[in-house]
Amino acid sequence: MVAAVTERADDARERVFDVYDATMIHRWVRACADEVAANRDFLTQLDAAIGDADHGINMDRGFSAAVTDLDATSDLPPGELLIRVGGTLIYRVGGAAGPLFGTCLRRAGEAFGDAESFDAEDLWKALRSGLDGIQGLGAAEEGDKTIVDAYAPALAAFERELRGGGDGATASRKAAEAAREGMRATVPMQARKGRASYLGPRSVGHQDPGATSTSYLFAALARSVDGGR
Amino acid sequence: MTGPAPRKGTIQSVERASRILKVLGSGTPRMGVTEIAERLGLAKGTAYGLLRTLEAQELVEQDPETDKYRLGPAMLQLGNAFLDNHELRARSLLWADSLASRTGDAVRVGVLHGTNVLIVHHVFRPDNSVQILEVGASIPWHACALGKAIVAFLAEPSRRALLELELVPLTGRTVTDPAVLEKVLAAVATEGTALEDEEAIVGEAEIAAPVFDDRGHSVGAIGVVGPVERLVPEGRQAAAVVAAVRETSRGLSRDMGAGRVGPRSSAARR
Repeated sequence: MVAAVTERADDARERVFDVYDATMIHRWVRACADEVAANRDFLTQLDAAIGDADHGINMDRGFSAAVTDLDATSDLPPGELLIRVGGTLIYRVGGAAGPLFGTCLRRAGEAFGDAESFDAEDLWKALRSGLDGIQGLGAAEEGDKTIVDAYAPALAAFERELRGGGDGATASRKAAEAAREGMRATVPMQARKGRASYLGPRSVGHQDPGATSTSYLFAALARSVDGGR
Repeated sequence: MTGPAPRKGTIQSVERASRILKVLGSGTPRMGVTEIAERLGLAKGTAYGLLRTLEAQELVEQDPETDKYRLGPAMLQLGNAFLDNHELRARSLLWADSLASRTGDAVRVGVLHGTNVLIVHHVFRPDNSVQILEVGASIPWHACALGKAIVAFLAEPSRRALLELELVPLTGRTVTDPAVLEKVLAAVATEGTALEDEEAIVGEAEIAAPVFDDRGHSVGAIGVVGPVERLVPEGRQAAAVVAAVRETSRGLSRDMGAGRVGPRSSAARR
């Protein structure tokens, strides 16, 4: 970790050194809120087919609250910031999505520790801890038609790019693409977890709302690690 | 996919027609004759003949624009007839309404169907929010309070048989160890109510009690389902909900002809 550049790392330096600080987390959470808000009705529509028809509304409420909260927390290090956002999501999103996404971000934040900055490798580890958190709560595996079907391939793509010598921006972009593919792949699946699993074969043919939200979070990550456009 | 081999003494064409209905009732609601034939491993002509017959009975209908088939209006009548003829459901309607308004949360009534609880009645949480009807939903018995309430009062052999089958986790909190689950069931038999604490869906909990018939059999269960923070605040079951569920299940059992002593099965007398 390159501590010298972290205090006030601007976008250009981020690209050169592939080191990020809390401003990236700020960008990410805001980008998540934008993505979720823009797709609120679509998420709710997806959820109406196989869930409780409140996913878009809940996610929008939670991320809006998280953004409001961000304004009051500008001086927190990345880890603490994510833990705080996670707590807000658990409390404000509600349902199953609140605990799942909230725990994900909390675990990711815990993985950062109290460091003021992080690199792409740290980010991968944090994302991995986030997935562990989700799977610990939900016990879902790939193929169950859940968040995991977008998240797991995204994480794998991120790691693959990193191991191949790619930087954080490219890895995040690959992750976002993989998340999107994973999301689409949930359509023909029969749900084995969550309310959708109650429907048995009737859950086939619908895109999973949780996997869809997950793809938005990774799309937001790609935008944020790039420096935000 | 060719499906299971027909059982001896059954009629192949009826079995095939039933499979057509089931495939149309699964995820892809509209299918062309070729797709249906492929899915079921039938010759196209055979599938077409079956579909025409089902169409004449209004069990399927054909979209005039796309020529694709979907389930027909007669299916709704059959589904409703099933529910109307269901004694527990019929008798639970008023009890479920008053339990929902008393607790402010959703109420479900279920019966055991194989290893799953089939939801036969569902009253929405009375807060005007959009909710999806769960009637017809099927939940593994060990992951919901309804299932635990029913199974705890089954006769020993039936209970044992269910514990010996694979117990699939639905969340990280689903109890899948049969020895642990057996202890849970013993506690349910003593308490008279069952708890499900984020074992089916993350963030949700359910408190349920069995419903007994005139022979003392646990023929179903009624329960309140809602956010875990409301039903299990600070890790303890909301006493008011437990009391309301218990009273409701007793009233409903009386309506079903159960004696005042309640369960007569050996399970409750261990």
